[in-house]
Amino acid sequence: MKTKTHFAFFDEGSKKEIRRATLKAVAIPGYQVPFASREMPIARGWGTGGLQLTLSLIGKNDVLKVIDQGADESVNAVSIKKLVQHTTGVPLTESTTDATIIQSRHRIPELPLKSDQILVLQVPNPEPLRKVDAREYMTKRMHAEDDYSGAWLILFEQIMRYGKMTTGAAHPVYVNGRYVMAPSPIPRFDNPKMHQSEALILLGAGREKKIYAVPPYTNVESLGFEDYPFTVESFEGEQCHLCGATEVFLDELIDPDSCERTYQCNDTSHCIERLNSKEAEEVEKSYA
Amino acid sequence: MVIDQVHDLQKVYRKILHSMSRPGTITSFEQKADSISKSLPCNEAVFLCALTLFDAEVTFHIIGEQEKSERLAELISSYTMSNKAPHDQADFIIALQGNLTKEIEKAMNVCKSGDLINPQNSATWILESVLISNQSGVTLTGPGIEREALLQTGYDEHFWMARNLRTKEYPLGIDCIFADFSNQIACVPRTTKMVATEVI
Repeated sequence: MKTKTHFAFFDEGSKKEIRRATLKAVAIPGYQVPFASREMPIARGWGTGGLQLTLSLIGKNDVLKVIDQGADESVNAVSIKKLVQHTTGVPLTESTTDATIIQSRHRIPELPLKSDQILVLQVPNPEPLRKVDAREYMTKRMHAEDDYSGAWLILFEQIMRYGKMTTGAAHPVYVNGRYVMAPSPIPRFDNPKMHQSEALILLGAGREKKIYAVPPYTNVESLGFEDYPFTVESFEGEQCHLCGATEVFLDELIDPDSCERTYQCNDTSHCIERLNSKEAEEVEKSYA
Repeated sequence: MVIDQVHDLQKVYRKILHSMSRPGTITSFEQKADSISKSLPCNEAVFLCALTLFDAEVTFHIIGEQEKSERLAELISSYTMSNKAPHDQADFIIALQGNLTKEIEKAMNVCKSGDLINPQNSATWILESVLISNQSGVTLTGPGIEREALLQTGYDEHFWMARNLRTKEYPLGIDCIFADFSNQIACVPRTTKMVATEVI
């Protein structure tokens, strides 16, 4: 027996509350608006914030794409897609260009997003100052007072210890010159994609009960020092061993037997699209 | 007027979100007009915004002619279960058409604009306009706007001066939704800077 759920899982009251928080988040870019995060049928910390945003946004005319760490087929993406489709019946896609709502865990797609698309990012730890102070009241106060010396100090200590900034993901950013924001654990490679983006970017943290946003055409600057500027991960000289892409975020794969390193596109749908278009070209050539 | 609480209001929300994230961008709602909407004390777009955003957790205040605003307050309360509140406490302030410049200015000066710890505890204004257009009016710049946007809302420079005064201490401020009689809306959140380009 399957129960017939309400459209988009939530009752309308829950959607209204999330929608109001989202509008406030858009009006105060980078500020974490608290919201009454609902219990979801997936565990907190596994994308419930993103899922709640998606469910509050989605309508019958939407096309949904969900990515988990660059892949459309991994567990988190598949289970979220199944839940949304089961409760809304909207079509799913793997193509970045066809989607109207893209929910993502830890990546921004390689293809630039358009103005009619909304990117929803799942955030495990929305507070960039949490390492500075464990108390929510204190971090809220630091944001209020524009006191981000702690965020700078974390980066400074990394430079002292390792000679460079070692943030693997979620390198903090200044949004609209006012709030320091954790851009969800996207690699540094994706930080510049948030700057003056054409699409609206919404970030949801379910466990931490926060919603925040980066509206389109908004300045997003990654924190960096004059002598140690912000840099993205470099894949110089490497290319995807499947499609040959170079200007993309690559995964490093090490063969356990031969210990050989190979690189592969992290954004699987982008890689497959490239392979398909290459194949189509080859077929056309050989036919001629 | 038959409004689907689930799907129609979802569409309205997406339009509001689109306009709020792109200040000055005009979006339009589907016309639902029939006999009931003709008897509404406000335009349909204002009413749809209220239906989309209000519930028992928020309060609202209406600025308008007494008879009209009482009728609208009763309608909104019965449809959404939200309650009326004085203008300095309300989460949403609806301003109707009419000769109300002074009342609007007064409410603008005292309405909630949040505090530095919780800037989201501020009033959102829903302003009834005759016709919004991008032809002339004020020039808007800021997040969500690529270069600049023109917006004509029908509200005069006193209104904009009062609004600018309340948004000066960013992140404190108020967010405005303008809703006109052609079922169009445009938003001006607190981040938007405006300059009067001509006599409005």
